[in-house]
Amino acid sequence: MALFAASAQQEAVAAPIQHRFDPYEDNGGTILSIAGADFSVIAGDTRQSQGYNIQTRYARKVWQLTDKVVLATNGFAADGANFVKKVKQRLEWYENAHQKQMSIKSIARMIQTMLYAKRFFPYYVYNILGGIEEDGTGAVYSFDPVGSYEREACRAAGAAQSLIQPFLDNQIYFRNQTFPADQPKPIPGNLPLGTVLGLVIDSFTSATERHIEVGDGLEMYVVMAKGRAVDDLTSKGALPEGVVVEELGPLGEGGGERTFLVRRTLKRD
Amino acid sequence: MSSIGTGYDLSVSTYSPDGRLFQVEYANKAVEAAGVAVGIRCSDGIVLGVERLLHSKLLVKGGNRRIQSVDEHVGLATAGLLADGKHLATRLRDEAYNFRDTYNAPATVQILSDRLSGYVQAYTCYGSVRPFGVSSLVAGVDKTGPRLFCVEPSGVFYGYRACAIGKGKALAKTELEKLIAKEADGGEAITCREAIDEIARIIYLVHDDNKDKDFELEMTWVSTETGGKHRAVPGELQAEAEAKAKAALEEGMEED
Amino acid sequence: MNHHPAAWGQPLTAHQQFDMYSTNPMGMSAPRSAHSHGPVQNTQWPLVTGTSVIGIKYEGGVMLAADNLASYGSLARFRDIERLHALGTHTILGVAGDMSDFQYLKKELDGLLREEETLTLTDAHPPLSPNNLYTFLANLFYARRNKINPLWNACLVGGWDFKKDESFLGYVDLLGTTYTAPTLATGFGAHIAQPLLREAYEAKAGVDLEGRPGADGRLLTAEEAEAVIDDCMKVLYYRDARSINKYQVARVTKDGVSISESKSSETEWMYAEGLRGYGGQTQ
Repeated sequence: MALFAASAQQEAVAAPIQHRFDPYEDNGGTILSIAGADFSVIAGDTRQSQGYNIQTRYARKVWQLTDKVVLATNGFAADGANFVKKVKQRLEWYENAHQKQMSIKSIARMIQTMLYAKRFFPYYVYNILGGIEEDGTGAVYSFDPVGSYEREACRAAGAAQSLIQPFLDNQIYFRNQTFPADQPKPIPGNLPLGTVLGLVIDSFTSATERHIEVGDGLEMYVVMAKGRAVDDLTSKGALPEGVVVEELGPLGEGGGERTFLVRRTLKRD
Repeated sequence: MSSIGTGYDLSVSTYSPDGRLFQVEYANKAVEAAGVAVGIRCSDGIVLGVERLLHSKLLVKGGNRRIQSVDEHVGLATAGLLADGKHLATRLRDEAYNFRDTYNAPATVQILSDRLSGYVQAYTCYGSVRPFGVSSLVAGVDKTGPRLFCVEPSGVFYGYRACAIGKGKALAKTELEKLIAKEADGGEAITCREAIDEIARIIYLVHDDNKDKDFELEMTWVSTETGGKHRAVPGELQAEAEAKAKAALEEGMEED
Repeated sequence: MNHHPAAWGQPLTAHQQFDMYSTNPMGMSAPRSAHSHGPVQNTQWPLVTGTSVIGIKYEGGVMLAADNLASYGSLARFRDIERLHALGTHTILGVAGDMSDFQYLKKELDGLLREEETLTLTDAHPPLSPNNLYTFLANLFYARRNKINPLWNACLVGGWDFKKDESFLGYVDLLGTTYTAPTLATGFGAHIAQPLLREAYEAKAGVDLEGRPGADGRLLTAEEAEAVIDDCMKVLYYRDARSINKYQVARVTKDGVSISESKSSETEWMYAEGLRGYGGQTQ
């Protein structure tokens, strides 16, 4: 950020520059979430950078919150880490008070409240919340840094948002696609898991090619609705070469939803 | 008890006609009811020991310790109300921390004792508070060498070569006087390792099997062997000292 | 000077005009804008500063290095400052940035460790692990940046984690930004030393599924690691104008912390008539 700020300042050479502490930084990276009818995929790369420096090739940006909710954060890493810490703390308090895990729509509203509470010194973080709604459908909620939010079928955020979102608009929302008269435009958010994972992987490998702040590793969390078959993820040959699946144990009592962590490498250059 | 019923024993803000503060004297009674605590200033450090009376057989072995650390180099053994002792240790830790913060040097044992005495004394001046039911042995090694002080509920404090507080302190003190006789005549003080044996012996001697509850011996030291740090006496050293103490006790009984 | 490619060939900024070689705070004070007289004035820039700290994990431990210089602007002001500080028995802290903030940190952490030690006698509990201390530092730095009153440092924390039975290496800075990696470097070292460290590390350790080095599990030996560290410190001395040819290396293993005596790199400043591979001269 500072580097680009410096070149912007050169426009106004006449004004003396105050050497001032800037409490923010952009740590790059990209996150992405896509909802299916009975699953949700929440993904992020693992690179953390500052300007042209790669700080680390493995920093987590996606966090399992409950048995059916996963949160991805992107932007200023320190704010992200501390925001997630506070969200988890609030969820723990809720569980202790109510003897159940918070639903995704309630977590979404809570996140809005927490973000807006710092409206005048915001968390510089873009959040995407993915998981299973109480009616069993796959859900994606996206937020801006000060808490504006909505439920969507898909969302990309972060460094490569401008590269990925138009692709998703086309592939998920079917924008600029024409369909024959006898075949109506499908309703977004109903693609099969294999297709969605393919889109996620293609999004990240492509963003890695064209954006210097994206790369190193890819973590995709897949949350499956209760009772859904998982063989389209776990059966042999379901996933491309080099992609590894691991099931994450339930954090709470386990309501039947299942969460999987799907990983693969991204290019490191 | 001549004080009872006179009305002069209800508050520390009122003297009795003959100039006594009965609440402070009652605080001393709380100290005398507690298991004995012994400290010895040695040639190479200091050793503290307490007789930790066990009010229940259900207690965890080795728990609820009565000797606490105040700073790296200073220990505090208390006799009296255990909770008061914990409070004083916390206070003294704050003093030690504050001293380092201000002067960038560890506080001497004398300064810490002085600070503690000032704090304890303040609780003898106001009607709204009660004095601490605790006597404290403040012991450690500082730039002036090994030091041992005793702070009483009145706030008075003295430096000692060796000191005992709590139940049976009189008997313990006569034993201690024999120990320091050589030093008092200008000779060398005993060593920490000798003091460990002696303290174990004295505490076993003072303990009254018939009247008292069971007890555990608790010992700590600051010596050249601990690098000037306040540490628990190593298990094997203490076990050895206790074995000798028990043997000495049996021998004494046979003589009687 | 702004070395960003976008700034090449551009006119100098006002700041660069008044202090082209970044000698501030020496000599001149920064020009104050009409708006700069706010009610609260916290730390706005570091004064006496230390340059890079570098670190690398190796077989059975972790190694940190930092030079002995504390600069005052471009003046090499204090030439025997130790910037590696042991925290307890199995953690080492290396600090770049403002040296008065470093001294404050040392005092704070030493006080914390001493308090832990005094409480251990009556309340037996394990000592603070490298991870504990790292988290403490991260929270401290982040809390101070939230008050817009930062501790102007970038730190490396190295240590031995007995729970995982492996070494620990983490970074935390004035923004509260944190990350861990098998090789780390602060400041100028992130440009100069980090590529050398990564190259040496990954040549032996390989890379795992998330792009994390270490898949092959074979790490550098202590001797190999120190050779890389020595090389990095030499290159940093050649290329970093705020460095000095006098540095220390700290190691943490299962057996504890050790900080070396100060040492120097052998350097070569002759006319480069024999040097090949640059500019037009390639033969």
